[in-house]
Amino acid sequence: MKRIKYILFGFLLGVTVLSCKEKVRQDDDKLKNASWEEIEDYADGTTVNFMMWQGSTAINDYINNYVVPSVKRKYNIDLQISGGQGPEIVQLVMGEKQADIEQGQVDMAWINGETFFQLRKVKGLWGPFVGLLPNASLINFKDSFISTDFQQPVNGMEAPWSINQFAIVYDFEKLPNPPKNIPELKKFVKEHPGTFTISNDFTGMTLLKSFMAELGGGPNSLDGKFDEDRYTEISEKLWSFINENKRYFWKEGSTFPKEQSKMNQLFANGELLITYGFNEGGIEDKVLNGLYTQSTKGYAWSNGTIRNSNYLGILYNSPEKAGAMQVINFLLSPEAQLKKADAKGMDSNTVLAMDKLESEWKDKFLDARKREYGPTLKELEVNAIAEPAPEYMIRLYEDFRKKVIEN
Amino acid sequence: MKIKKLNIGILLFVLVGVLPFAAAFIYALLYSFGIIGVANNGFTLQFWKSVITSGTFFKSFGYSFLIALVAVVISVGSALWITSKFRQQLEKRFMSFIIYLPLAIPGIVTGFFTFQLFSKGGFFARISHKLGFITEASQFPDLVNDGLAIGIIFSFITMITPFFVLLFLNVYKNERVEELSLLAQSLGANANQITQRVFLPILIKKTWVLIMLYFIFLLGAYEVPLILGQESPQMLSVLIIQEIKQYDLDKISEGYVVAVLYTLIVSVAAILLFLPKRKRPYAN
Repeated sequence: MKRIKYILFGFLLGVTVLSCKEKVRQDDDKLKNASWEEIEDYADGTTVNFMMWQGSTAINDYINNYVVPSVKRKYNIDLQISGGQGPEIVQLVMGEKQADIEQGQVDMAWINGETFFQLRKVKGLWGPFVGLLPNASLINFKDSFISTDFQQPVNGMEAPWSINQFAIVYDFEKLPNPPKNIPELKKFVKEHPGTFTISNDFTGMTLLKSFMAELGGGPNSLDGKFDEDRYTEISEKLWSFINENKRYFWKEGSTFPKEQSKMNQLFANGELLITYGFNEGGIEDKVLNGLYTQSTKGYAWSNGTIRNSNYLGILYNSPEKAGAMQVINFLLSPEAQLKKADAKGMDSNTVLAMDKLESEWKDKFLDARKREYGPTLKELEVNAIAEPAPEYMIRLYEDFRKKVIEN
Repeated sequence: MKIKKLNIGILLFVLVGVLPFAAAFIYALLYSFGIIGVANNGFTLQFWKSVITSGTFFKSFGYSFLIALVAVVISVGSALWITSKFRQQLEKRFMSFIIYLPLAIPGIVTGFFTFQLFSKGGFFARISHKLGFITEASQFPDLVNDGLAIGIIFSFITMITPFFVLLFLNVYKNERVEELSLLAQSLGANANQITQRVFLPILIKKTWVLIMLYFIFLLGAYEVPLILGQESPQMLSVLIIQEIKQYDLDKISEGYVVAVLYTLIVSVAAILLFLPKRKRPYAN
């Protein structure tokens, strides 16, 4: 009986103590004005929590078997990985903000465009910090695909990690002449009913942005700030194109795949003749894993597909900002970027500018293992279009549901 | 001493069972009215209006209700049939192992398994192709991600039928249905009368609370509809999570409206169902 009372008392005491935890505020300004040597000192021996998308074995292998041991060995940093992308990161930050938590669970996160936009909206990012990183000097910030994220200047609030382009994927043995624009796509779906669809996720919405740019009259038609009238005008054309043709889509357009992995599976088992994705279609590892045939190819829409970078950010309430900066600086090092570029590994394009690298590293990058199946970033370069403002994505999500899925 | 023990029990129940639920509900309620939420600007009815006028919630609720109902009716029906026909065989060790096995498989695995078997590129589609019944993947019937929710219902049935079989077998033994059936037979009842007047009423009456709880559980199921459902209408939990993870931060509160509405409906239904009924004197 007494024991139960003690347990209960201990439990209540614990809850009380936790709720009154002393608020410790890291001296952020001091960190922003510190020298890199001082930051390295602060970072030594810390535990850094990194929230990232863990949906690919190649990425997980790179992080767990290369990055984690490297930062431990080089900087005595324990890098802990947790799974989560866009919405989960934003939810976490919003929840912690709501609860006034000054020592958050996560220090750094892998983000891009719309997450950057949302985190900035709720003031969830800490920075600017990129200018403090020694390896940032190797990045070409004059490249607008790197320095601008969804039409928003990065301004040192997130560090570019890799750059890639959206590509359409097909099997040239099954489909020798894939469609390269909207009129050809209309013809294609009628000739091959049930073999094309749009995924209701980030990737699918990115395809819709390429369609919108084409319907708007050219690769640059969505550039600049979000324009409500322009969106309404072009999106009406887009919805009528989809609704008029969706009976020729997968499952006669009665439903759409929820996510990219499902699209890939449908393409691999032959239900779809066309799929698409970032990282130039993500073909290489899927052919090497045997999911796609060796006759798989990738290409860009003739009006262009979206090219963008993805980034690493530090959260506003990160308890280990110095440690996070040290890890990010390592991830931007030529060594870590070269390892990441290996076509048989993570197969990711570097954000480092070749002309800023020492010749030794430049040669290594030029000699790195090349892709055998997927297209290179260079091949798609002429058909690259910049990410439109984030509001386009937000509106596309909403209207695709309202005007196509529920229609 | 006894009273004290009871008090501690209640206290623990309140601490572990009621408080977290109440706190989460109040949080969702405040969020739904825009009172809290980093992207919200204070009290508004806008989110409630938007959810109620769009009709998505009610469509989704009706859809989930029908799916859960069909799955429970088929599962309970099949379990009753199996219990009445194969009772003796099921008592053997091997058969009882077979019936226990599906209970150990998580919903998400059942969902993936169903997808691998029944999708247009799945196991049965491939066999049909090999046998020449179909020439293209698209000719295979829509059994997953389909409007009639065939895949979801199939998964639910495989998940819960074994549970009901085990439940009915136990009730059959504990309530001595065997003896009662023999008694009825000796009084002149035929096989149909025994089933309708003895077997079914006893088994259903003794288990209806669990049947209802399983119905509520299926109504809020998440993983199986996520894998096998279509994009519209969606089952409730999938809809709630989708709304809460919206890219448009200004609309996250609509997800909380859906969660609050769902909780209210299920709570009212549970109270009505499980409230101790006043016994009428001279009731049959």
